[in-house]
Amino acid sequence: MSVIRLVISMIATLLLLAATAPSMAQTDPLQTLVQALPKGGYAEREKVILDLAGTGDPRVADVLGALGKGDLYTLKDSGTVIVATGRGNSLETADPLTGKALGAVDKSGLDKIRVNNRLRRAIDSAVGQLTLMGKDPATRLAAAQSMLKTTDPAAIGMLDTAIAQEDDARVKTAMEQARAAALLKSDAALENKIAAIDTLIAKGDREALAFLTGARSGASADLLPAIESGIKSIEDKLAFWSALQNVWYGLSLGSVLLLAAIGLAITFGVMGVINMAHGEIVMLGAYTTFVVQEVIRNNFPGLFDYSLAIALPLAFLVTGAVGVAIERGIIRWLYGRPLETLLATWGLSLILQQTVRTIFGPNNREVGNPSWMSGAFDLWGLSITWNRLWIVIFAMIVFAVLLAVLNRTPLGLQMRAVTQNRRMASSMGIRTPWVDALTFGLGSGIAGIAGVALSQIDNVSPNLGQSYIIDSFMVVVFGGVGNLWGTLVGALTLGIANKFLEPYAGAVLGKILILVFIILFIQRRPRGLFALKGRAVDA
Amino acid sequence: MITQTLIRALDRKALFVVALLLFIAVAVPVSNLYLPEGHPLRVPDHFVPLFGKYLTYAMLALALDLVWGYCGILSLGHGAFFALGGYAMGMYLMRQIGDRGVYANPVLPDFMVFLNWKELPWFWHGFDMFWFAALMVVAVPGLLAFVFGWLAFRSRVTGVYLSIISQAMTYALLLAFFRNDMGFGGNNGLTDFKDILGTPIQSGTTRAVLFAASAIALALAFLVCSAIVRSKLGKVLVAVRDAESRTRFLGYRVDNYKLFAFTASAIIAGIAGALYVPQVGIINPGEFAPANSIEIVIWTAVGGRGTLIGPIIGAVLVNAGKSWFTGVLPEFWLFALGGLFVAVTILLPKGIVGAFTGGWSALKARRASARAEEGTNLSGDLKTSPAE
Amino acid sequence: MGRQETLLYLDGVSVSFDGFKAINNLSLIVGHNELQAIIGPNGAGKTTMMDIITGKTRPDEGDVYFSGTVDLTKLDEAAIAELGIGRKFQKPTVFESHTIRDNLELALKKPRDVFSAWFYQPDDKDTARIDEILDMVRLTARAQELAANLSHGQKQWLEIGMLLAQDPQLLLVDEPVAGMTDAETVETAKLLKDIATTRSVVVVEHDMSFIRDLAARVTVLAEGSVLAQGSLDHVSADPRVIESYLGR
Repeated sequence: MSVIRLVISMIATLLLLAATAPSMAQTDPLQTLVQALPKGGYAEREKVILDLAGTGDPRVADVLGALGKGDLYTLKDSGTVIVATGRGNSLETADPLTGKALGAVDKSGLDKIRVNNRLRRAIDSAVGQLTLMGKDPATRLAAAQSMLKTTDPAAIGMLDTAIAQEDDARVKTAMEQARAAALLKSDAALENKIAAIDTLIAKGDREALAFLTGARSGASADLLPAIESGIKSIEDKLAFWSALQNVWYGLSLGSVLLLAAIGLAITFGVMGVINMAHGEIVMLGAYTTFVVQEVIRNNFPGLFDYSLAIALPLAFLVTGAVGVAIERGIIRWLYGRPLETLLATWGLSLILQQTVRTIFGPNNREVGNPSWMSGAFDLWGLSITWNRLWIVIFAMIVFAVLLAVLNRTPLGLQMRAVTQNRRMASSMGIRTPWVDALTFGLGSGIAGIAGVALSQIDNVSPNLGQSYIIDSFMVVVFGGVGNLWGTLVGALTLGIANKFLEPYAGAVLGKILILVFIILFIQRRPRGLFALKGRAVDA
Repeated sequence: MITQTLIRALDRKALFVVALLLFIAVAVPVSNLYLPEGHPLRVPDHFVPLFGKYLTYAMLALALDLVWGYCGILSLGHGAFFALGGYAMGMYLMRQIGDRGVYANPVLPDFMVFLNWKELPWFWHGFDMFWFAALMVVAVPGLLAFVFGWLAFRSRVTGVYLSIISQAMTYALLLAFFRNDMGFGGNNGLTDFKDILGTPIQSGTTRAVLFAASAIALALAFLVCSAIVRSKLGKVLVAVRDAESRTRFLGYRVDNYKLFAFTASAIIAGIAGALYVPQVGIINPGEFAPANSIEIVIWTAVGGRGTLIGPIIGAVLVNAGKSWFTGVLPEFWLFALGGLFVAVTILLPKGIVGAFTGGWSALKARRASARAEEGTNLSGDLKTSPAE
Repeated sequence: MGRQETLLYLDGVSVSFDGFKAINNLSLIVGHNELQAIIGPNGAGKTTMMDIITGKTRPDEGDVYFSGTVDLTKLDEAAIAELGIGRKFQKPTVFESHTIRDNLELALKKPRDVFSAWFYQPDDKDTARIDEILDMVRLTARAQELAANLSHGQKQWLEIGMLLAQDPQLLLVDEPVAGMTDAETVETAKLLKDIATTRSVVVVEHDMSFIRDLAARVTVLAEGSVLAQGSLDHVSADPRVIESYLGR
C-alpha cells in the first residue's frame, strides 16, 4: 500500500510543479519587456523593441517575428500579451515566449498590437541581428543563408558587424557570401564588387552561378569582364564536379557489376563453365538476407544493425552448398560440352526462380538498410550515399580476398593446376572432382554474398538474377576470360561508361550503346581485353 | 545441277514429311470449314490458330537447327529474327487498319496519334503495300544476320562467345523496341489488327488460309534445309561443326559457309515470325526477350538437333505441353520447362529423334567418351597452353 | 638455292607469345619434290612453324614465300590451302560424323565457294580419283563407314588420303606414325616416299627408325631455330644435337 501512496504523492508533486511553472516565468525580465509592448505609442514601442533586441535572447526573435507578421495580440480581459494564429473568428492562442498553447479565444476578446513601416524595419533589423549574432552557430548559419536568399543591400552593414565578430569559419564564409551577393546588387565601388565576385567564385555552386548571371544584365562595362570570367570559372568547376559525380556513380555501378560478375569470373573464367543460373544464385543470397532480417525483426530486433554481418557468412554457405550440389548433380556430366552446360544451367535457373516464387511469392520483399548504411553525406561537391560507398568498399574487399585465395592458398593452387592441365594435376594426386566442386562452390558462394550486397540497393524479387546475368557475362567477356584483373577493369569501365552515356543518351539508349559496343569489341578482340596470347590449342 | 540438288533433297523420309505437311495444310482447314459443328473429325475453331502458331514455331526451330544442329553455331538470339519478321508483318497490318482505329487517323497508327506525332516516320513508308512488307520480312532479318554474322565469323568469334553476344544482340533489341521513340509502339507493340490482304483477319476462312500458309511455308523451309544439308554444302557445314580448323586447312572459307547458313536461317525465322503475328494478333517487344530465344533452343534439343524432323517434333511437343500445363497447372510450367532443359541435355543429348534412330547404345557410348575426355576437356577455346 | 627456285622459303622468321620466343630467327628452305624430315625436342617450335606456313599464326618478323613469289604472311588459311599446301595435324583430325568417302570428297580439289558446294555433283572422274585414294590408304572396304569408327592409325592414313585428295604441291605432315604398329609405320614411310616423287613433303616426327626409313634430308630444330641440317647420320653425329635432343 505504501508504495502506491508514494507514487500518488510523487504524481501530485509533479502536477504542482507543472502548475507553478507559468508563475515562475512571470518573474522573467524578458516577460516584463514583452508585456510592455502594447503600452504607449509607436515611439515607446520602438524603444521596447530595441530593448528586447538588446537582451540577445534567441526567444526574442520569435516574438518580434510574430509582431512583424501582426500575430501579436493582447487579451482584452487581462491585458496579457499572446500570439494568436488562425482564420475566422476563433483564433488559437499561445504564449509568445514559451510557445505553450493557451486554447482558442474569440477574436472579439483580442486587441492587435499594431506596427507601422518604421517599426517593421526596426523589427527586421533586430531579428537579423539577433539571429546573426545569436549564440548558436546553427542559428547564425541559418540566418546568413536566409540573407543570401533575400540579398538586401540594406543588410550589408549588419553583415559587416556580424562578420567582424564571427569566429566560426563556416558561418563566417556563409556571411561573407551573403554580403557578396548583396554587394553585387548595391551601388558599391567597383573593386568592392570585384572582390564580391571573387567570393562568389570561391563559393562556386549553382546558387553563385545564378547570382552572377543575374548581375550580368545590369552590370557596368567595367564589371562585365569580371562577371563573365567568374561565370565561366564556376561553370568549369561545376562541369568538373559533375564529371566527378558521374565517375562516382560509374564506380558505384561498376562495383555492383563487379560483385555480380566476380563469381562468374571463377566459374566461367577459371573453370570454363557457363552457368546461366549464376544470377539466380545471387538472388538466393539476397533472399538469405531477407530471411535473416525477418528472423531478427521478429525475435531479436536489437540485432538489426548486425543483420548483414550475420547474413554474409550464411549466404556464402547456403549458395556455396547450392553451387556444390549443382556441380555434382548437373555440371560434371557436361564437362567439355559448354553449350549443353549453358542450356542445362538455364533450365536450372528457371527451376530456382520458380521455387523462390513459390516459397516467397512473386512480389518484391522488403530488405532494410541497417542504420550505418542509410543516408548520405557531402564530400566537397559530391553527394555520396552510405550504402553505395559501402558496396564499393565491399566489392574491393571481395575482389582482394578472392585474389588472395586464388594466388596464396593451396586450394587456389590446385584450382589453377586443374584448369591448366587436368590430367597432370590428377596424376599428381590432386582430387580433381573435389577441386571442381569446391571451385564451383567458391564461385557460387561469392555470387551469394554479392546477393547480400545487392539486396541493399535493388528490389529483392525472383527476377533479381535475370537482370544481372547478361551484364555479368558482358563484364567477364569484355574483361577477358580467365583473368580476375580483367573482370575488375571490365566492370569499372562498363560502369563508368554507362554513367557517362546516360546524360546524353538516356538510361536505356546508353545501355543499348554499351551492348552494341561490346558486341563490336568482341569482334575486334574475341578473347577480351586481357586475353592471354599463345598457340591456340584447337586443332 | 539445281534439279539434281532438289531431287537429292527429296529422299524418301523428306518426301514423307513434305507430303504429311501438305496433307495437314489441306485437311485441317477443310475439316474446320466444311464439317458441321460437333462432328468428331472437325477441328474446333480455336485450335486452328493454335496449331498454326505451333507450325510457325516449328519453322523457327528448324531455322535454328540449320545453324546449331548442322553448323554448331548456338545462336541465343534467333528470337530476334523471328520478332523482326513479325514486326514487318505487324507494320503492314497496322497500316491496313486505316481510319478504323480509335483515333480514326487515316495514316497514323493509334499509338503515334497518342504520342502526338504528326507525320509517319520514314521507316513506316511502304508498309501499306503487302509486297513491300513481304520483302522486308525477308530483308530485315536477313540483313541483320548478315551484318552480325559477317562481323562475328570474320573475327572468329565462336562457341559460347558467339552465344553470349547473340544474346546481347537480342537483349539490345528488346531494350530498343521498348522505347516509345523507336516508333514501334513501345511496350504495347502492334495489335488490334483488322484486315490482311483485304479480308478480315478474325474470320474463320482467313484463319484457315493462314494455317494452310504456315504448313506450306514449313514444308518449303523443310525442302530448302533438306536441299542444303544433303548437298556437299551441308557436308561442309557439318565438317565446320566437328572440326572447324581442319575445314579451313582444306581450303574452305569457313566464315562464308557460316554466314550463308546464319543468314538463310535468319530469313526462315523471319518468315516464321511474319506468319505468327496475324495468327496470334499481336507482336510486342517481349518476343525479343533472351528467354524466348533460349526456349527455341530447347525445342530443337528435345526433338533432336542435327536432324530436320527433330526440331519440328520438338517445337510442337514442347508447345503443346506448354499449352496444356498453363491451362492445368500454370505454376508448374517453369518447373517442367526447367526440368526439360536439364533432363534433355544430360539424358537425351540427341533428342527424341536421335534416341529413336541411334538407340540407347549411342547415348551410352557418348557418355562413356565424355567421361574419358574429362582429361582433355574444358573446351580448348577457353584456355591456352604454353607453346610447344 | 635462290628464293625463286624454292618451293618454300623461310628467312629470319621470329614469333613470340607473351614474351616467350617460340620461333627465333628461323630460316628454312624446301625444294621442289623434296622429302624433308624435321626433328627436335618438345618446345622446339615445330608445330608453331607449321602454323606460320599455313597462315594460322602471323610471324612477328621474317619472310615466308611459296613458289618463290607468293608471300604467305599476307594470306589466310583457306587461301594458303588453295595455293597447294596441305597440312596433317599432330592429333589426327578427320570429320568423324562423315563417312570415309565423304571425308575424301570434301577434301577433293574442287571450287571451294558456297554455291559450287551446294550444287556439286560428283562426276566419274571424281569418283575414280576417290577410289584410287581409298585404295592407296587401304580403306576401300570401309568407305561407307563413319570416320569415327576408325582406329587411330587408320585416321592418320585417312588424313594423309585427304591431303592427297587436295592435290597440294607441298604436304606438311605432323607426326604421321604416332599410334601405328611397326608394320604400318614402314608402310607409311613407303607411302610418303611415293608421294614425294611428285610433290614436296615435310615430315615432323620423333620416331628415329621411321626417319631412317624415309632416308631424307633432316633438319634439327631447337629453341625455335635450326640447329643442324643434313643426312640423319650427319646430324646424329653433331654434338649439339646430341646435347639438346638425342641424349648421350
